[in-house]
Amino acid sequence: MFDLIIRGGRVVDGTGTPSYLGDVAVQDGKIAAVGVVHGETLAEIDAKGRVVAPGFIDPHTHFDVQLLWDGAAKPALEHGITCVVPGNCSLSLAPIRAGDRQRVVGMFQQIEEMPPAAFTEAFDWTWEDFAGYRDAINPTLSVNVAPLVGHSVIRLWVMGAEAQERAATPAEIAAMQDVLRESLKAGAVGLSTSFVDVDENGRPVPSRFAQFEELDALSAVLGEFGKMLQCVPEFYDTDITIARIDQLSELSIKHKIPTTFSPVFDSTGAPTNVARTMARVEEQFARGARVWPQMQTRPIDISFSLLRPSLFFSRLPRWVRVLRLALDARLEALNDPDTRAKMVADLGPDGGARMMGKLVVRGGDAAPAAWVGKTLGEIATERGESPALALITLSLEHGLDVAFLSANQGHEVTDRIGPMLAHPLMHIGASDGGAHIASFSTYGDTGYLFSEFVRKSGAMSLEQAVAKITSETADIWGLKGRGRLAAGQCADVVIFDAETIGRGEEYPVFDMPGDGMRYVRGATGIDTVLVNGQVAYAAGAYTDARSGIVCV
Amino acid sequence: MSDEPTIVRAVITGGHDGAAEMVVRLAYGNGVERDLVLDSDTGLDLMTRCGVSHLDDLVGQSWRKFMALEKSDV
Repeated sequence: MFDLIIRGGRVVDGTGTPSYLGDVAVQDGKIAAVGVVHGETLAEIDAKGRVVAPGFIDPHTHFDVQLLWDGAAKPALEHGITCVVPGNCSLSLAPIRAGDRQRVVGMFQQIEEMPPAAFTEAFDWTWEDFAGYRDAINPTLSVNVAPLVGHSVIRLWVMGAEAQERAATPAEIAAMQDVLRESLKAGAVGLSTSFVDVDENGRPVPSRFAQFEELDALSAVLGEFGKMLQCVPEFYDTDITIARIDQLSELSIKHKIPTTFSPVFDSTGAPTNVARTMARVEEQFARGARVWPQMQTRPIDISFSLLRPSLFFSRLPRWVRVLRLALDARLEALNDPDTRAKMVADLGPDGGARMMGKLVVRGGDAAPAAWVGKTLGEIATERGESPALALITLSLEHGLDVAFLSANQGHEVTDRIGPMLAHPLMHIGASDGGAHIASFSTYGDTGYLFSEFVRKSGAMSLEQAVAKITSETADIWGLKGRGRLAAGQCADVVIFDAETIGRGEEYPVFDMPGDGMRYVRGATGIDTVLVNGQVAYAAGAYTDARSGIVCV
Repeated sequence: MSDEPTIVRAVITGGHDGAAEMVVRLAYGNGVERDLVLDSDTGLDLMTRCGVSHLDDLVGQSWRKFMALEKSDV
């Protein structure tokens, strides 16, 4: 007797091989059979006209805090994500001594933009070591979690405040090795480090004070377990990124470990970045290194308000001058009719229609709901103003706390991005799920993969795209039993409509602790999501299933 | 050509954190060119340091002015 049979779907098994019509049977949380399945079952799902695929794996998230009160990592699960990797960029919520919590909270707030109440009201912080964190999230998980342990917090554990001041001594490095070893035994899937991130005061995070000897020693421990080293290199400079690729490759070969780095972006401003990066990656793979670049699927939007000067105005000298004034002087200038008239005149005869007309007013700040989601061009017409004047007056009416979005301003050229994503050595990831929550939505990248690069541009087949975010990801990360529809595999399954799977519009919600705001996106085309054999999401709603686990 | 690295291109692009960033292309005396990404504050500081109020006017400016900016920040 099976627990469940998913009948008559188009089976895309995650391996990249051609799909076929068939059934998928589930028993005891595992896939029991795939193909034409006979036998009795407790339940059935009719999947005719739908794709049945392995659950998607998101390898770069910051759900560490959210998982303590939301075991589904919403809205990740409704996008078909059945496994998330938190703890990236050198930061995890363990191991952290009680006395160091506030210091780490500041680092998390810098990356995640989580409100302070998230750390004081939403959960009881009872643990210090990694096993304690694992046990704290485990009971309520709806999604699987493959957590990294952060280099910065390991450093802090061993060195205290000096972790953010100096290199470690040999004794301290040995102590860090012990802490890493314990964390890996407790379920960490690897170590994350960063050469870029800063804390809330702009100071480099602890991992940035490490000498190469320290990273080498920690990688030796990763080698004992064959676990991952994740790294954020100096991605703003291709030459330094290439140097980091070489460094990661040496560690990979020496200690026989996989490594991954992100983000990797394409932009018209730096059009050779990806080609040069991938050329070095190919050379290092040929030497035997495993150094996986991670690239996100979604384009980058620019968001700004008049509360801070933005380079968006860098071709408007008067605007730059005004916006760089101190707040009182800036408000005075913007309220001055003569200055305002000159600023508007700088946009030329169209009043900013070309440059600003397509800007979208975002929600979640002081903008009135009536304007949210509308373009500045639409608002200007309604108000009888030019777009440039509407941008100023609307901002002034709400204390300058009105955010505007300029869509598709980086990593946005589909015909360039598609082949990059399809490259055999490109690891699709870097969603940053759960981070930057008050700035933009980090959800829906998998839907965008299918809508933009399978259906629209054809850069990948459906089977290739599924393989990229299932079996290939599982193999890169060593997630055993995940990423494929085959007998004996964990029954992480997503059922979706190949013609409509995608990401919805971005919108603000106030569901963070303390009524904190974040931007999210819903999914389109996702019917049902199973996690370890149980239906966790179906017909547009989350179920009570708590079948997620910490993957080990 | 001078041995001094010179800005030959400056454009605005979207950054990893959703903020506008400036990508400057530098040309070195030996013919090598490279791109570098600056965040909003640094990009605007560079414009101030170079005495320009329009992005396009960065072209032709010496990169030493950026180095001076970095030094003064330390």
